[in-house]
Amino acid sequence: MSRENMISKRDAELAEAVQQRPAIAPAVDVYENKDELLVVADVPGVSREQMTIHLEKGKLTFEARREESKDGGLLAAEYRPYDYRRTFLVPQGIDADKIVAELDHGVLKVHLPKAAALKPRQIQIRGE
Amino acid sequence: MLTRWSDLDRTFTVMDELRRRMDRVFDEYGGYARPGFEEETRASAAWPKLNLFDTGAALVVTAEVPGLSEKDVQLTINQEVVTVSGERKPDAPAGYSVHRQERAALQFSRSFTLPTKIDAEKSTATMKNGVLTITMAKAPEAQPKQIAVRAQ
Repeated sequence: MSRENMISKRDAELAEAVQQRPAIAPAVDVYENKDELLVVADVPGVSREQMTIHLEKGKLTFEARREESKDGGLLAAEYRPYDYRRTFLVPQGIDADKIVAELDHGVLKVHLPKAAALKPRQIQIRGE
Repeated sequence: MLTRWSDLDRTFTVMDELRRRMDRVFDEYGGYARPGFEEETRASAAWPKLNLFDTGAALVVTAEVPGLSEKDVQLTINQEVVTVSGERKPDAPAGYSVHRQERAALQFSRSFTLPTKIDAEKSTATMKNGVLTITMAKAPEAQPKQIAVRAQ
């Protein structure tokens, strides 16, 4: 591949990437107790219909599309309505059927209950 | 080995453009995905992020305030200065260990001056999905006016 081809190919790839909708990764807290993993994310400006969450091959991804608000002429902006997208690796042993998510006041909470095999267990020590 | 300058230049330009766009995204989202030590310096001075719109008849301010409800936010309008303040309480659930913490609890107070006179009596504020929207009708003297053009 000649150098010219390499560079123009890279141009074309980057041009495509730029046309994709830009997305940002929202701030997230991750907690754990003996029954579940809890993921809490700040996603202001998103309603339940716009949020999708899926778990595939051990990766939890949530993403949401946002529309531009049409509130008239924009005078000053400190944030743009970028889409949200973030992916996490989740350990095996999450009961995928029992995953529950709630979205309230712009905060997404995803409860990932542990399957029985992953829950901590007391192990009895046998004495002599 | 000879390298044509124009080829290299083109590559750098394209890389530069990408970096600039990434910088813009990072700048706007200030403290995203940064670990704990940045949290104290993370702008309680610049939280929440605000947008300002002019709809012709009113000025609209939107602020991203995830996790807050109406009673967590105080809004004061003093002539052209608007102050949004409140507190975001920590919401870590009891009995859980923490793997990652990026969302900060903080107290905030932001003031800004509006570009035109508004009528504080005719202002409303609503919260939805963690976004605060303040709609302030412009004072009558600040409303846009149509001026008829007449032939001389």
